[in-house]
Amino acid sequence: MRERAIELMQDARLIDGHNDFVLRLRIFYQNRLSKVNLRELNKTHTNLAKLQAGYVGAQFWSVYVLCSAQNKDAVRLTLEQIDVVKRMCNSYEELELVTTSQGDALSCISDSRRIACLIGIEGGHSIDSSLATLRMYYDLGVRYMTLTHSCNTPWSESSSKGIHNFYPSVIGLTAFGQEVVKEMNRLGMLIDLSHTSYSTAKAALNISKAPVIFSHSSAFSICNHSRNVPDDILQQLKKNKGIIMVTFNADVLACGRKVVNVFTLADHFDHIKKIAGSESIGIGGDYDGVESFPQGLEDVSKYPSLIEELLRRGWNETEVKGVLRDNFLRVFREVE
Amino acid sequence: MPGGRVLVLALALRLLLPCAGQNYQEEAKRIMTTTPVIDGHNDLPWQLLKRFNNQLGLPEANLTLLNGTHTNIPKLRSGHVGGQFWSAYVPCDTQNKDAVKRTLEQIDVVHRMCELYPETFACVVDSAGIEQAFQSKKVASLIGVEGGHSIDSSLGVLRTFYHLGVRYMTLTHSCNTPWADNWLVDTRDEPPLHHGLSPFGKTVLEEMNRLGMIVDLAHVSVETMKVAMNLSKAPVIFSHSSAYGLCPHRRNVPDDVLEMVASTGSLVMVNFYNDYVTCEDTATLADVANHMDYVKKVAGAQSVGFGGDYDGVTRVPTGLEDVSMYPMLVAELLARNWTEAEVKAALAENLLRVFKKVEEVKMTMQGTAARETPIAFEELEGTCRTRYGYSNGAGTARLLPAALALALLHSLLS
Repeated sequence: MRERAIELMQDARLIDGHNDFVLRLRIFYQNRLSKVNLRELNKTHTNLAKLQAGYVGAQFWSVYVLCSAQNKDAVRLTLEQIDVVKRMCNSYEELELVTTSQGDALSCISDSRRIACLIGIEGGHSIDSSLATLRMYYDLGVRYMTLTHSCNTPWSESSSKGIHNFYPSVIGLTAFGQEVVKEMNRLGMLIDLSHTSYSTAKAALNISKAPVIFSHSSAFSICNHSRNVPDDILQQLKKNKGIIMVTFNADVLACGRKVVNVFTLADHFDHIKKIAGSESIGIGGDYDGVESFPQGLEDVSKYPSLIEELLRRGWNETEVKGVLRDNFLRVFREVE
Repeated sequence: MPGGRVLVLALALRLLLPCAGQNYQEEAKRIMTTTPVIDGHNDLPWQLLKRFNNQLGLPEANLTLLNGTHTNIPKLRSGHVGGQFWSAYVPCDTQNKDAVKRTLEQIDVVHRMCELYPETFACVVDSAGIEQAFQSKKVASLIGVEGGHSIDSSLGVLRTFYHLGVRYMTLTHSCNTPWADNWLVDTRDEPPLHHGLSPFGKTVLEEMNRLGMIVDLAHVSVETMKVAMNLSKAPVIFSHSSAYGLCPHRRNVPDDVLEMVASTGSLVMVNFYNDYVTCEDTATLADVANHMDYVKKVAGAQSVGFGGDYDGVTRVPTGLEDVSMYPMLVAELLARNWTEAEVKAALAENLLRVFKKVEEVKMTMQGTAARETPIAFEELEGTCRTRYGYSNGAGTARLLPAALALALLHSLLS
């Protein structure tokens, strides 16, 4: 089964929806790439060698900046994070910045050493309520924006309550929030609904003309954490032809249960397949964004263990390839 | 009768020979048809912000019909403007506040201008792009950020501005940055902070050389001019400054600096603002021509260019009321015995030379690493900033790195 998983992944390497490694670069190295060897670094869940061992073919790097920077220097910080991704992907021959589904970099699977870099913004506070700033981020190569992180923006509501005190009266999407979604559709930027409140997610699903994503969320039915997606929204997602990239954060997978392992994670996959179909599923590990991961999935080299388990549970090859990359590519092409 | 024939002959001659003034104008237009002007600085984007809040879709914002500004499309056409550095300017009072976002908005409005009027504007990012636009008879449109405060002392922001098409940065506007001194320091209105560039300022300049972004020294103090010109590997520009020797205003370039302009192959793009041309509130086209003559005399014909500052100032000379009037100025230069080669140099070739040199320097520096050392947090002012990422570095760290990392990760969990 393990060999089958590896064979499959060699042929269809993973496109992962969310990784916060770039934040660690800021915290540990002040974005000074000259101080660190990305291939061998062992302070983090992620390094290039592990990504290759995990058969990762493409990675959305999150250019997250803390909510506490909202109304302060969020824009400057976001630009700095985008800059470090560009420099990182320029400095290592295994990495290549990609901004489209067209062409070789995302669709071609021949070179097993190369990893495509994509950029995702995590939190609408990064645009400081400016559509021009959103456009400039798109020009810089950003291809998704998570509408909120754990704080409300002046125009969108987060699922996190009580962590921050920003804009407490905002519910779902305001009129301006709708303008943001429409502009994202027009630009061809993927709308990411992880971290948003259910009102926000429903509103976005209603008005978006394109499929949307959840870059790193799991199933509320299995674990009723506010970061997870309830069945009714999963059904809306299916109609929208969007994708939920299931996340590996042990806290949102297991709701406090002691044993969290690949079975726990696979339960989420099974449930979502039942409600929304396997074509609505992808993978968004959230490595280096959170601390606790299931046993056997401690870092980015462990993805094959998940695939092995899905195969063991009777998922067929088409379904697994869909989860690995084809579902995401479908969504990306639609959005473009 | 003999007198009658002489009269007829004289009349005939008058009809056949146009008067000298008209000749120069036609000559100017002839030259500018193949060598249009590349102007160093125009603040139309600022007008678009002030008047329309950047809403280019409003009927009043139609650039073909726009009136009340120095610049609109028909005027650019009659003025034979072939290249324009549009200024992405935000005022000094945004420093330490929302300067970065505001600057992105001004960069965006130039991009959208090119998208909305593709038959007129061609947004380009290199010297080859300008030359192509000349061929296709469009206005090559480039972006210059006016004031170092726009990058909020961040090299990452500087680099992303370059990615967004910004091809020059004026190191200061009329305020000091944490790393460069502005011209007001020379008027004694402000005390000097850095006597030119701080160590971080030098890093900024080196990074600009590496990126291939032109260094613009309009608005900076004399010490900053000298330090920059000594340090820069590439020639620099003054995108909109005139000659101090003719009008001793501290926005202008003094003679010793003009000599450095000559020896570094740099460029002074003469500003038309009355206050910098005559040091009074009125001026004429001839006064501007005097500045161009002066720069040519002191620094050579290869050091002169046009930097009108249209739509950035209110008082412009009679004879140069708007951007359609460049040919009249060129006619005056021809009347003053500028050769066609000298005129073409001032119109476009000097700027293209400088730009190509800047691109060459970028090529030679390819493969050198990006400058990464951030500015020391203590050098920054204002409360509109967070300090995360800094606590790990040398200096006054308030939290141990591990503890900080855990605290941050905790806030990431939702």
